[in-house]
Amino acid sequence: MSTSAREHEVLAPRPTIEPGASGDAGAPIQQTNLWKDAWYRYIRNRGAFVAGVVFGMLVLYCFIYPLLSPYDPDKVDFSLSNQSPSLEHLLGTDRFGRDLLTRTALGGQISIGIGFAATLVILLVGVTYGSISGFVGGHLDNGMMRFLDALYGLPYLPFAIITLAIFGTVNFWTMVIALSIATWFTTARIVRGQIITLKENDYVRAAKALGARWYRVLARHLLPNTLGVLIIAIFLELPGVILGEAFLSFIGLGISPPDASWGAMASDGRVVYRTYPYQIIIPSVAIATLVMCANFIADGLRDAFDPRTRET
Amino acid sequence: MALLDVVDLKTHFFTRDGVVRAVDGVSFTVEPGRTLGIVGESGSGKSVTALSIMGLIPKPPAKIVEGKVLFEGRDLTTLSERQLEDVRGRQISMIFQDPMTSLNPTLTIGTQIVETVRRHFDVSKAQARKRAVELLEEVQIPNAAGRLDDYPHRYSGGMRQRVMIAIALSCNPKLLIADEPTTALDVTVQAQVLDLLEDLRAQHEMAMIIITHDMGVVAEAADDIVVMYAGQIVEQAPVLELFDHPEHPYTEALLAALPQLEGHGIREGRLTAIPGRPPDLIAPPPACRFAPRCPYANDRDGCATHPPELRELRTGHWVRSQHPASERTRAGAGVPA
Amino acid sequence: MTKLIVRRVFWTIPVLLLVILLTFVMMRQISGNPFRRSERAIPAEIQANLEAQYGLDDPWYIQYLRYVKGVATFDLGPSLVLRNQTVNDIVRDHFPKSLELGALAFLFAIVFGIPLGVIAALKANSWLDYFTMFFSNVGFAVPSFLVATLLIYFFSLEWDLGFPTSGWSTWQSKVLPVIALGLGPMAYFARLVRGTMLETLQADYIRTARAKGLRWRRVVGVHVLRNSLIPVVTAAGPLLGFLITGSFVIEQIFAIPGIGRYYVTAVTARDYSVVMGLTVLLSVIIIFANLVVDILYGFLDPRTRDVRT
Repeated sequence: MSTSAREHEVLAPRPTIEPGASGDAGAPIQQTNLWKDAWYRYIRNRGAFVAGVVFGMLVLYCFIYPLLSPYDPDKVDFSLSNQSPSLEHLLGTDRFGRDLLTRTALGGQISIGIGFAATLVILLVGVTYGSISGFVGGHLDNGMMRFLDALYGLPYLPFAIITLAIFGTVNFWTMVIALSIATWFTTARIVRGQIITLKENDYVRAAKALGARWYRVLARHLLPNTLGVLIIAIFLELPGVILGEAFLSFIGLGISPPDASWGAMASDGRVVYRTYPYQIIIPSVAIATLVMCANFIADGLRDAFDPRTRET
Repeated sequence: MALLDVVDLKTHFFTRDGVVRAVDGVSFTVEPGRTLGIVGESGSGKSVTALSIMGLIPKPPAKIVEGKVLFEGRDLTTLSERQLEDVRGRQISMIFQDPMTSLNPTLTIGTQIVETVRRHFDVSKAQARKRAVELLEEVQIPNAAGRLDDYPHRYSGGMRQRVMIAIALSCNPKLLIADEPTTALDVTVQAQVLDLLEDLRAQHEMAMIIITHDMGVVAEAADDIVVMYAGQIVEQAPVLELFDHPEHPYTEALLAALPQLEGHGIREGRLTAIPGRPPDLIAPPPACRFAPRCPYANDRDGCATHPPELRELRTGHWVRSQHPASERTRAGAGVPA
Repeated sequence: MTKLIVRRVFWTIPVLLLVILLTFVMMRQISGNPFRRSERAIPAEIQANLEAQYGLDDPWYIQYLRYVKGVATFDLGPSLVLRNQTVNDIVRDHFPKSLELGALAFLFAIVFGIPLGVIAALKANSWLDYFTMFFSNVGFAVPSFLVATLLIYFFSLEWDLGFPTSGWSTWQSKVLPVIALGLGPMAYFARLVRGTMLETLQADYIRTARAKGLRWRRVVGVHVLRNSLIPVVTAAGPLLGFLITGSFVIEQIFAIPGIGRYYVTAVTARDYSVVMGLTVLLSVIIIFANLVVDILYGFLDPRTRDVRT
């Protein structure tokens, strides 16, 4: 809506009252860029903000506390077993006498680590599959999507179990692969959808019309705009993977004691739940907190990037 | 007595960022059988005015904080939701801008017309369906009877807008409010829809309010015009008077912004636009809201300190400005017509 | 419309074949799988029997085809561990209980979850909304083994209300497991319904409906709900996967002799034919459920009826 100085000369005298002259009243509405805008909006969403903070603190605790803790998480000492939370052991001890505050943190490293690693794998596979399918389009896209439809028929947990059986051993990386193998489809679909939408976008057409090569189009235009969707996808996949690991470990087919993961700890704790319920409650609450935070963060991110909220 | 009498209407939105004064003291009347055009750019408050009349503003953030909406003497702002539901569709109808999204995609066209008729009249389904076919024929939908049970996605944009009109007229309202009825349509279809509206309006003896940002539309369709800016009325006059003798600088600028196809020097000139942007309605300019963009605003006349009142310059012609065209003395300072 | 159904059903077959193939291939990768070679101390004649029966000397694709034929005729082969039982027997013994558990949990989720979501959406931003949403967020995030354990702890141990915590016989014994399994999906539905309803409430056609003077009850009941429930139907399909996953854990905790629990037993016992058979069974269920959901969706959303699948 702004005009050049030349137009002012031709059409009308320059306005003598500048916007903003009388304080900020009458100033035109501000504009910002997408990321700043999204960040600002995210911060203001109280639920998402708190969730982000709690999430961050939980992760920090898991990775830093074991370095600071005075207790050895693996040392078995039956004289200390099954103590309820107290001042010396803030979360109590398990039936082997191990300090739970330290052990929960350690378990968190594994659970969170597997969670993020698996999510990354899901993202990698999903993005590759989805962007190829969406970008190339046509019959290839059709075929790839049909194949994906078929894969939706695979039951998640059984396939994770079978994958682990194929590997023979259960360790961090085999868990990561097992948990990502049967669940990357949704991400692939989302990415494909996004690429297709963007592909039809006018500015992409404009770029192509100007002669831009396909990889330039992909890198410069399509992928950066998909970034928002990907960040959200991370926090959408994370809960599923974390719960998957927990379930697997709980039924004994995942990480097993003496290694710690929250699922394994819950399984341990279940043995004595009648008398010492805190032992199963603690790792479960940890899982629940992480999952809840991830959900809130995903919601918050979604609102931040696409603000069709209830406000005017 | 006027059919609709809006008195000092103020609708504010209470948001986290502050109070948006979307409609800030608007008054006008609509006589039976006449068409009022409300003109303004996006954000001027014209749609919110219409929604406020119908009581359709989103109640959590928005609220009618002051003013009266007198319909046949009855103040609509004091009615309960149930009472308003009796008025809507039956006494006052409204059609909206985007026909592609204004109809429920999961219900047939027939259902959507029939439910309206049966809501306000005690008739059987068969009778209502018959009426629905009549209405579709009135709005010139070909093969109306056969298409009654189609879903909206089978209709084109222009046809859907006609269906909207049919629904709006189904209960013979006394007033029809059309919010940007042609904005989402192609130019050729626009003309058809406007003609249709005018014919139907005359036939049903309705009054109409047309809301638009398009001066061309309003020149065609309206008897009287109200120009809104930043939530306020800045000029009000019968249509011919407004176009022949615009007074407010904003009105002049709007008219000047219309692309011209004839006239000397046109090929060399550029499209004129109004400098600046509409003000933020949370903190509008304290005095004249158009001042930051007005070519005639200056400190001597208190443009930034004293809010101008709406005054009757000539009979029936009201202006809210310190510098209406007929009072300007500076030579050569007018915006070329 | 029938064309749509036929087409969808038709496509299920290659999907099914593909899934069986994948399962088959993956199972063969597990070392120690007697389908590849014998690694266990099975008496020679039995080994020979197995080989004859399974044609273990035949190339893998022949074995695959034979297996597919078996699936089509509902013959999933014998168990490798329990000598005198076939996989079919095992399925027959255990599957109905899991099915019942799953179905009841699903019903629980719908009956309680959807109204909760509707109420939360209609009274958005009220304390009721925040409360129900908080509750459903928790319900969704808390792993079902915790829910199960807490339920057992409170309902059986602390307050003895007569809800047994193991087995699956009387209706009382079914209450706790159903709640434990269904709480997560219930919370999920509540959130979903609330979300779709809020979105629908903003739609232009709802504004039109109100402008027509329709009673609010009709606007919500007919216009809003209809459009809001469509995504819920779509979500029902994948939810089945969750129910299957959850059942593994719930059956373990409540000692319910269903196939979830048996699956774990079979894996640990290396009873590969059972594992394979159960996996295929679960896949079939999921594929079938997705098919039903797709067809249902076609009924609900008229726009899809005119679009080619």
